[in-house]
Amino acid sequence: MSKSCRQGASLLFSGAVHGSVWARIKAWAEPFLASAPSKRLAMVPVCVLAVVLFMQGSPAHGALRIDITKGGLQPLPIALSDFVDLSPGGAVLGQNVSGHKLIEVVTADLERSGLFKPLDPKTFIQTPAELWQQGPNFRDWRLIGAEAVVSGAVHEKDGKLVADFFLHDVFQGTLVGKGKRFTAPVRDWRHVAHRIADEIYTRLTGESGYFTSRITFVASKGDMKWLSLMDQDGANRVDLTHDRSLVLTPRFAPTGEQLFYLSYESGQPRIFRWDLYTGKKAIQGDYPGLNSTPAWSPDGQYMALTLSKDGNPEIYLRNLRSGELRRLTENNAIDTSPSFSPDGSQIVFNSDRAGSPQIYVMDANGGNARRLTFEGSYNAAPSWSPRGDYIAYVSGGGGRFRISVVDPKGQNGRALTDSWMDESPTWSPNGRVILFSRQSGSQSRLYTIDFTGHNERLVNLEDSINGSDPSWSPLVH
Amino acid sequence: MKRLATLFVTVLFLGVLAGCGAVPKEGPEGGVGAAGSGGVGADGSGLGRPGGYGSNLDDPNGMGGSRGDMGRIVHFDFNSAMLSAEAEQVLAYNAKMLSKSSGPIQIEGHCDERGTREYNLALGQQRADAAARFLVSQGIQANRIRTVSYGKERPVIKGHDETSWRQNRRAELVSR
Repeated sequence: MSKSCRQGASLLFSGAVHGSVWARIKAWAEPFLASAPSKRLAMVPVCVLAVVLFMQGSPAHGALRIDITKGGLQPLPIALSDFVDLSPGGAVLGQNVSGHKLIEVVTADLERSGLFKPLDPKTFIQTPAELWQQGPNFRDWRLIGAEAVVSGAVHEKDGKLVADFFLHDVFQGTLVGKGKRFTAPVRDWRHVAHRIADEIYTRLTGESGYFTSRITFVASKGDMKWLSLMDQDGANRVDLTHDRSLVLTPRFAPTGEQLFYLSYESGQPRIFRWDLYTGKKAIQGDYPGLNSTPAWSPDGQYMALTLSKDGNPEIYLRNLRSGELRRLTENNAIDTSPSFSPDGSQIVFNSDRAGSPQIYVMDANGGNARRLTFEGSYNAAPSWSPRGDYIAYVSGGGGRFRISVVDPKGQNGRALTDSWMDESPTWSPNGRVILFSRQSGSQSRLYTIDFTGHNERLVNLEDSINGSDPSWSPLVH
Repeated sequence: MKRLATLFVTVLFLGVLAGCGAVPKEGPEGGVGAAGSGGVGADGSGLGRPGGYGSNLDDPNGMGGSRGDMGRIVHFDFNSAMLSAEAEQVLAYNAKMLSKSSGPIQIEGHCDERGTREYNLALGQQRADAAARFLVSQGIQANRIRTVSYGKERPVIKGHDETSWRQNRRAELVSR
């Protein structure tokens, strides 16, 4: 996508642009989408039109306007009708699963993304059953301001949950994509709801969703820390370590099925690999001094890590199959916090070789290191977006530590948050949302924020535990 | 007075540890079910939450650690692992005491709560290493020394001001 397209898209859009719901939200998300090759041709006309509008410099007329400035977020109004329960004899499928509960999860997902505004079901004129049996009466939905309508039904078959759903474009009066059926064990009903939310998100933005993903993090209460895992919305938490050792910095493997993390169970910080589906745990090397900041290469074959065994914290590459070690940095300063580019060719990292902690990029073989950040005296903990277009990091200044982003050329840097101690940024699998931890006093909580700086949200943690060191998984399908 | 307080905390801490000793040390058990093909979470893997942790307890044995010494903690400036003249004095004194014995020595590096967890782990390591190098320069055998960085995980004072932070930026000699 061209640069001019980005500029055009960052201006106002009119009703004329939105030939469909899809195009409308597309326009909203343009700066984000423009940064990566589009998979869909349909995006091009939107972009071209945007450029035309921009060149003319005239605010287009029409009721609908999408303004992509910080304060002007306009999420898409969507009606999410309760799924109809088709099971014989009742609404509930067991484990308290019903069409209503299913759509509650879908609604929460879409609302939290900031891209959608689920409408209040009390305003719906068509009942769920009417909607399901007769299809949408588009005039009714237009009347309440919905631009998209979701209808669906659930039933149980052979002990499994079967959910069918349809997505309708209210303006066009058509289906968006085909109907889709998901089948899963009843106990995985939340997973089904997240799949549906992903499907809606993808159809209306043209981009992959992120609702079927997990978060691993360090949970704490008092002086006790342990490794924990939950769905991205905070549900289904599972505590993974129980041995009372200090644990830090879990990192999801590119497959989403393993973690690296740091544990002090031997009295010293050592890196372990944990297999989620077998529960197996294995130490990854035992080098004198500091072993820290494990980072997976995108192909899952290597780990970049920090070791101090040669007298100073430096970054090394460890072959996960052979255990062979290769040193990547060499100087008298701290080098730490490596994070791979999605194509595996480069590593962004943290170094104070110029006198203060700053962000650098080097080739994955250790060569060609260049500095990315020049503003501020404390820039650390970089994390490369899975889309490759941005690097999130922590920028310190004025006694505050903020989540910031910068592109891989060191351009377009900006702070997204403003708090006393924000850290540990990690990206949603689609590279749209950044998850991080925020310390205030002795409390630590997890938050998400859109990479544009919009839509900062607290992540719900049950049992009033603290959370830190989050790592976001790839999609779990 | 401060030392007395420290002693009290240590005793208290030993008490906590003794209490925790009765709790069975559970290994992690079970895996996590694959979404779509099984439930998440193994039954019975709920977490016990005893307080306290057992890593860096001082043990005066071999450390000359009774009252009247110069202490076994040295402090650092923000974002620095440079030993001050005062720190070198303290370490030189400790080197003299340690040279009378031959037991293993652990040096722990710590940071204040500002800055990232990862960078502070590296910085804590640099502080521990700086202290270790100084001890070696004073004649202590390098193979007696083990360094451990805790980054910002183990503050001595939980306050959120410069007074607390100064106390927390430290390297600490402990026996193991």
